[in-house]
This record gives sequence, structure tokens and C-alpha cells, in this order.
Amino acid sequence: MSIRLEQVTKNYGNVQGISNISLEIESGITGILGPNGAGKSTTMKIILGLSRPSRGIVRVDGNDPFTDWKLKRKFGFVPEYDCFYEHMSGLDYVAYFLRMHDVDKEEAEKIARKALSELGLDEAMERKINTYSRGMRQKTKVARATVFDPDILIMDEPFQGADPTTRGILMKKMAEWAEKGKTILISSHILNDVQSMTDNIMLINNGKMLAYGDRHEIRKLMDNIPRPISIVPLKKGNLRNLAKRMLDEKWTKSTTIDEDNNELTVETDQSEEVYMELPRILRNEKISVQRIYSEDDSLDSLYEKLVEGAQWK
Amino acid sequence: MEMKNFGDEIIMFAKRTKNLFPPIVKDCTYRLLVNKMTWVLIVILLLPCLFGIVLYNEFEDEREYEMQDGDKVYLFPDNNGNLVPLHIDLRENFVNQSDLFNISFVAIILAILFSSELINEEYTQKTMQLLRTTPIHSFEILLYRYIAGVLCMFGILGIYSIIFYLTTMMGSGQHGIIENLDVLLLILKVLLLESIAFMGIFCVFTIYFNRPFLIGIAYWIIWESIVSGQNYQKLTVTHYLNSILFDSTKEMSWDVVASDYSLVNSKNDIIATEPLTAVLIIVIIAIITLILGTRGLSNRQF
Repeated sequence: MSIRLEQVTKNYGNVQGISNISLEIESGITGILGPNGAGKSTTMKIILGLSRPSRGIVRVDGNDPFTDWKLKRKFGFVPEYDCFYEHMSGLDYVAYFLRMHDVDKEEAEKIARKALSELGLDEAMERKINTYSRGMRQKTKVARATVFDPDILIMDEPFQGADPTTRGILMKKMAEWAEKGKTILISSHILNDVQSMTDNIMLINNGKMLAYGDRHEIRKLMDNIPRPISIVPLKKGNLRNLAKRMLDEKWTKSTTIDEDNNELTVETDQSEEVYMELPRILRNEKISVQRIYSEDDSLDSLYEKLVEGAQWK
Repeated sequence: MEMKNFGDEIIMFAKRTKNLFPPIVKDCTYRLLVNKMTWVLIVILLLPCLFGIVLYNEFEDEREYEMQDGDKVYLFPDNNGNLVPLHIDLRENFVNQSDLFNISFVAIILAILFSSELINEEYTQKTMQLLRTTPIHSFEILLYRYIAGVLCMFGILGIYSIIFYLTTMMGSGQHGIIENLDVLLLILKVLLLESIAFMGIFCVFTIYFNRPFLIGIAYWIIWESIVSGQNYQKLTVTHYLNSILFDSTKEMSWDVVASDYSLVNSKNDIIATEPLTAVLIIVIIAIITLILGTRGLSNRQF
């Protein structure tokens, strides 16, 4: 099940929602990251067929989601906002949308009960939604979106308002669905949540797609932005020698010594070279190390660099 | 080929009805009946009934009567002082009051309120967005809401009309009530047709405009109230409802003329429409509004 956007632009009058976005999303989990107003929800709405692009083409499984209503059978959507029939119980609400999928009354109730129960709403499912806590509402939204086993799950801030237990349950469920070959698109502000679920991300800001793909690959593209590589020697006394030696290399931009943590950080714009040459240098200098690492391709770091306007090749 | 596809879609819609129709109509009916404004309108509707009961208690003992085939027929003196059956006077009161009060006023407000609750409220609560991400055609989204609206509107106005009929006619006794059931049926028929037409029109307003309530009121005042008494009245729903009322009362041998129902033009020519044609036109208006509404819903972006 594939989602394809080709040079998609969406304007709301004079305001630009998203601009010239092209991407192809395959099965598995993809995270959409960006600050508020970046265009995450607009992108999701266009994929869902809730909004029509001003320019460009959107295809889901080869069809236009705005005009092909039968395609909606494949969609499960968890919106960021509340959208309940507050007078219904959680069970009635989920069953109601199952009936919209042409499921018989008894069957709908049975399936809805099971889905809500799996998300830990056994006791609350018969209560009216207007008595639910935020976590319960979030679970009900997820149950409604996933109960009919959709091929594509689009979740706008699914962890918003969820307590740690709920978050854990949802993440486990998402991993299960991804394993089953579903296409899952998640937007979130909580970078760690996305990072723990997928490496496949789309970074968006001011309606423009900054990067799309594997986060490690994205970082490699950003060679012109110096990257910190940290080295922790076994002996503290080796820190200064190592720093001096590293400054001899042309790929070293700068070095920083952190005596307290016994750590040398080398800033470089040729990280591949560093990883190739470092073992030879350490061997020649007879320096043993505990650890070599770079946290620079964490989502936090990528997000910060890209969203704050840093450029790459 | 296209006709075959269209036929297939109709068959598919029909098959899905058993799963879509009951939950949507149940939910919509619930929402309409728990709406506070609905109950305000019901109370307004019941005021004339209370007035009828008060009048009945006031004048109950002053009535004259004569026995006809074992039935007690109550009488009242006409302008010439002759005693005529009281139910003839009361039934005219019933029709005139129904025409003035519930057909012209409350029904319109109910239609605007219901269409707003059924469509606009779903936009506000954002449940319409969810419906648009489920495999249900915009026509189905609108049709079942429309049916729920028509059923509730006709149900409320119909029950009210029966109560109003009883409280108005009870002065003429059992004989008067039974004798004029055809008048009650006429009013019920007009109310059903009115519900069918106006629910459709106001649903379209709700789908296309951001302020459906204001547009609805403006439409009623400018179009249905002013234009309906003029030369272009055939462009209004009121003309067709009046044509049915006029023709039916004439059929019942009432002493009515076309101008009683504003069915004349500026040259005083009668421009009443045949009742069957009037019914057909109202049904066509409803179908057109459903088609327009479906287009509006399909093209609406979120």
C-alpha cells in the first residue's frame, strides 16, 4: 500500500499550507516531525482526501483520495483534536463507525468491545464519552481508527495527552501493526517517541519538506554542518595528547576537552574519514579508548539543525 | 457502461441501508430531540392548544345542540342569526391557525434548527471529518440525516397538529371531531410535504453557507413570505403548499377563493397549481436539494 505525493502545494487563500512536497511512503512506520504550523496536519489531510491540493498530485494505492470514497475503506485516522459524539458511550461510538463500514450491528458491537478492551477500556467502554479523561479519549480515538483493520493508519499526535502506560500500549500496538505490513504515518512533537519507533522520518517546517528518509542517511547528507564525534580514552592523562594529535589532521575543525567526563570531542565535516583513520591514529599513539560515539544523528539534533534553518548539500 | 455503474452503485447503496440507516437515524433523532431549542419550539406550539382548552372550559356550558342520527351536534348562530353546526366554524379556525402558525412559522424555524444540528454541528464537532475518512458516500451522509430531519420535523408537527385538532374541535363534540378528520389529514399531508421541501432546502444552506441560520431566516422572510404572494410565487414552496390547501378545501366544498391563499397574480388571475403537480414539484425540489447537498459535501475541504 503506497502513498505518493508529487510536487504538492496547498494554499489557504494567501496563506501557504505546504509547498512543493514530493514523497513516497511505503509500508512501515514513518514519522512526520515539525513545529506547530509546519504543515504536518495539512499533509495528513491531503493524504486522507479531506483536503485537495492547490497544485500537484496525490495518489494512494494509485487513486485520488479526494474523489475516491471507496478508498477510505483502507484509512484509519486518529486526529489531533477531539471529534466525538459526546452523548455516546465509547462502545457505541466505535460500533457506530464500524457500521459506517457496513458491519452488522451484533458483529460491530463484538469487534468494538474487543478493540476497546485491548486498549484497556474494559470498565469505561459503557460510559458516556463526555465523562472520559484525556487518556481514555485518546485510546477511544485509536480504537475507532484501527478497529476495522485499515491498511493505512494516519495518526496526528497520537501520544498527546496519553499517560506513560497508554503511550506504552499505543507504541506496542503500532509496532504490531507495522509488522503486519501496515503503512503508518505518525506526527509527533515528542521526538523520542518517534525515534524509538522508526528511523524513517519526514522533517517539515514552514510548509516545506526539509528532509525525508532514514534519519542516519539524512545526517550524512549534511556534511557541511560540522559533526561532533566524542572519544573517551581509558586513561584521563591521554586526553591532551590525543587532542593535539587530532589537530594535526586536516579533517579536524576543532577539539574540546571535557576533563570532568574524561571526554574529547572532535568537530569534523568529514565524519567518514574520522571513523576510517581513528583506529590507526589510536594504535600509533598507543591510546586505548572506552567508547567512540556521536549523538549528532539523534532526532533531537537533526530536528534542531534543520528546523533552525541550517542547510546541507 | 456508465448507466450500469450507476445502477450498481444504487444497488450497493440499497444493500448498505440496513447497516447505515438505523444508527444514523437513531443518533440524529436523539440529537434533535435532546436539543433545548426543539423543546422551546414545542412549548411555543403547545400554547394555542392550552388556549383552546381554556376557551372550551369557558364556553362549554353555553353551547346549543341538536340530535342527528343519535349524535349530539353542537350549533352556533351565524351572522344572520341562523344556527349552524359549530364544527364548521371550528374546522376553519383549525386550518387557518395551522396555516398561520405551525405551517408558516414554527415549521420553518424547526427546519432551520434541525438542518443546522444535523450538518453544521457535525462540522463544528469535527465528526464530519471522520465521516469523510470512512467509506460512506456523501449522498449517504446527507440522505439519512435528511430523512431523520424530515421524520422528526413531521413527527413533532404532526403530533402537535393532532393535539391542536382535538383541542380546537372538542368544542363541537365527538361528532365534530369525527366529521372533520379529512381536514386533519389534509393538514398532515401539507406538513409532510413542507417537511420534505424545507429540510432539503435548509440542509443545502447549511452545507454551502457559514451562517445557515441567518441565511435561512432571510430566505424565509424575503423569498417565502414576500415573493410567495407575488407574480413569481411559483418559484416558492409556499405557492405549492397553498395550492394543495386551496384545492383540497375546495374539494371539501368549503367556501374559499384563490385569493384566500394568495394564489392570484397582480392582474387578479388565478395561478394555483394542480395538486398532483404541486406534490411532484415538491418532491423534485427535495431531490434537487439532495443532489446539490451531496455535491457540496463532496467538495467541502477541511
